[in-house]
Amino acid sequence: MTSSLSITSQSLAEQSIAMLSLAGRLDANTVSQLERALTDAQLAGHRAIVIDLGELIYISSSGLRVLLTGRGNARKRGADILLCNLQPAVREILEMVGFSAIFPIFESREQAVAAALATSDREN
Amino acid sequence: MDIREASLTIPAQLDQIQHASSVVRRLAEEIGFAESDLNQIELAVYEACANIVQHAYAHQTDGHVHISARAEPGRRIVITLLDTGTTFDPQTIPAYDPQQVTEGDGQVGGLGLFLIRRMMDEVHFEFCVPGSELGLPGCFNRLTLIKNL
Repeated sequence: MTSSLSITSQSLAEQSIAMLSLAGRLDANTVSQLERALTDAQLAGHRAIVIDLGELIYISSSGLRVLLTGRGNARKRGADILLCNLQPAVREILEMVGFSAIFPIFESREQAVAAALATSDREN
Repeated sequence: MDIREASLTIPAQLDQIQHASSVVRRLAEEIGFAESDLNQIELAVYEACANIVQHAYAHQTDGHVHISARAEPGRRIVITLLDTGTTFDPQTIPAYDPQQVTEGDGQVGGLGLFLIRRMMDEVHFEFCVPGSELGLPGCFNRLTLIKNL
């Protein structure tokens, strides 16, 4: 049995925002998929990456590390990573490891996109 | 007391770990652990197996992990993981501190061990356990995880 993760990517707001929708399990076996998606989004020049975790049912330490590295890389080039739509089990883990103090976390993707646009407007 | 047990041996490969953690989760479910506890047990077993695959067997491709679980209704689940990989001293693993973590700190150490300790009530590491004690040849590392109902 292997774990599975699917990532759907789309561009919003005239390419300024990348929306990554994750479904399944983010663990040591699937984490390279998110690494690639984050790299692709950053290479495409998006100012913000919104990660919708609405259908993510499981996250391990490997997934947590990639989120942390991804946000660090994004911030170095003046971009940001925002999280939204967390399942209770995933939210519990993120809070436990202190990520809720590091990542902007929103209840819905609409709220996350609005926050990303507001930040982008302030910086332009 | 209707004790239930399960055991399996997996190749030390990342794509095998979910199967092991799912088997233990199902056993825990049988004795009535709540959904949130089941998530924690599954993650602890996953992290423990991942640590063995990625660290104990870092330089070995033919290793195996033996996982056994004993579910004691109304009381607890005891999970034991055996491997023959490289030993380590848990005291030397940097303690992960959720208050100190910063963005970009993706190489932060001790995160898996932090999760295991937070998810389980008891975590015991033993190294170079004689195989004779287990009815097996050789010498083993043994990690015992316990969660109370």
